[in-house]
Amino acid sequence: MEKQHHLHLLPGDIGETVFLPGDVSRAKIIAEHFESYKLMASNRQYNTFTGMYKGIKVSVTSTGIGGAGAAIAIEELVKVGARNFIRIGTGGMIQEWLPRPGLLVITAAVTGDGTSREYFPVGYPSIANLEVVEGMIASAEELGLVVNPGLEWSHDTFYAGSPLSELDILAIEKPWIDAGVLIASQEAATVLSISMARNCRGGVLLVSSGCHQAPNEGATEEETAQAISDATRISLETAVKLYKLDH
Amino acid sequence: MSEEHRQHHINLLPGEAASTVLIPDDSGRVQLFAESMDEAEKVTQKREYITYTGKKGGTQISCTSTGLGSSPTAIGAEELVRIGTKNIIRIGTCRAIQSFVQPGDLIIATGAVRGERATEELIPIDYPAVADFRIVRALIEACTRLEQPYHLGIVRTHDALYLEAPFAAGGRPANVQQWVDLGVLAQDNETSALFVVAGMQGVRAGAILLYSAAPHDKGLEERTRVQMAAGIEAARILHEKGLD
Repeated sequence: MEKQHHLHLLPGDIGETVFLPGDVSRAKIIAEHFESYKLMASNRQYNTFTGMYKGIKVSVTSTGIGGAGAAIAIEELVKVGARNFIRIGTGGMIQEWLPRPGLLVITAAVTGDGTSREYFPVGYPSIANLEVVEGMIASAEELGLVVNPGLEWSHDTFYAGSPLSELDILAIEKPWIDAGVLIASQEAATVLSISMARNCRGGVLLVSSGCHQAPNEGATEEETAQAISDATRISLETAVKLYKLDH
Repeated sequence: MSEEHRQHHINLLPGEAASTVLIPDDSGRVQLFAESMDEAEKVTQKREYITYTGKKGGTQISCTSTGLGSSPTAIGAEELVRIGTKNIIRIGTCRAIQSFVQPGDLIIATGAVRGERATEELIPIDYPAVADFRIVRALIEACTRLEQPYHLGIVRTHDALYLEAPFAAGGRPANVQQWVDLGVLAQDNETSALFVVAGMQGVRAGAILLYSAAPHDKGLEERTRVQMAAGIEAARILHEKGLD
């Protein structure tokens, strides 16, 4: 098999579980939590590191921002042997009661993005795999970390759903805020829906420094960096649990 | 609780139902619920909404029929939330559209395609109709305890049964093919309405569905008992886990 068009990966280059951060530089930060790691390929926004953790092979691939780039990554990762996808990302919380920083286990996504809609028609639910959700919650508990399970709103235009926007984003987000959706970000629906379409397990663990209702009252950079590290530790333990289910 | 809190359709006051309520669409099923419990009493009846409350192995559980369709299911779910219900489990029938699902098989729904219009009045179509993962797990464990196989996956809820059912006369059964191709296990008329209403209100919901191919299938009665037993067992499991 020739190496994949965008990711430049070959079969054998990755583990069965692949972590998917959006931020290109975060791939290496996540890989530093492995017991060992090696850069397997780097092309465009796609950096892939593979290493070992507690006896299993794990990988991380950065996807860039948005569903379109994440979809390409997942499709090519499936072709080289990935079975489980865990997005480790960031977003903006839309419920004021959530802790800051927040660690959110996404159980399902609002499909406000274009990518998941091309895979499934409107009205088709974008759902996280049950074993991944349970694995994240159990792992967080083992690590003494607090996570909140719930829904994410996936959308494509950052500047139509961020406090950095000049639009009235709380009005845009009102249906989701009223329905108890926890967080806005851009990739969960894509990761969950394509995992469903390819019969893989998909899950999303999001870190957020603050909420859209109080944009100036968020966690510090240090606290948020620690939360991303915590999310990585939860995801690694989840990967071990998934491996035990399969082997 | 004063009469002003009595719900308009289900005719219940807060405290008059258990924290876990099973909701069959068929009002005939509440009798089966009562027979399946250690003890049960009829609480009230209005329109298609009949409620029984009883005990099984010390766990208090209620059963409220909703009638067929998303409109009465949405009303029933909304009013149950208003009287303080924490877990709502639909006990319904469905028509499987995948060839590997046989009549009499049980399906645990993880989510539902929103092919109905009732919930579009509540929230835009992008919002997912999903079961609560804790109820999905409770239903899986219930089937395992009862040694019953089950299918796990997505169903599609729509409004016009006689357009797409296999026994539709002059209908449009060809409409179903796209859902077959997308991996949908079965179709019904209620599940997505329950999942959306419960999700928006922050209560847990789930559904265990029985594939009923022919209404007068003799084997169906026994399967219906098994399905009800699984729903009751799931309610007990939720109680054991402190989720009520």
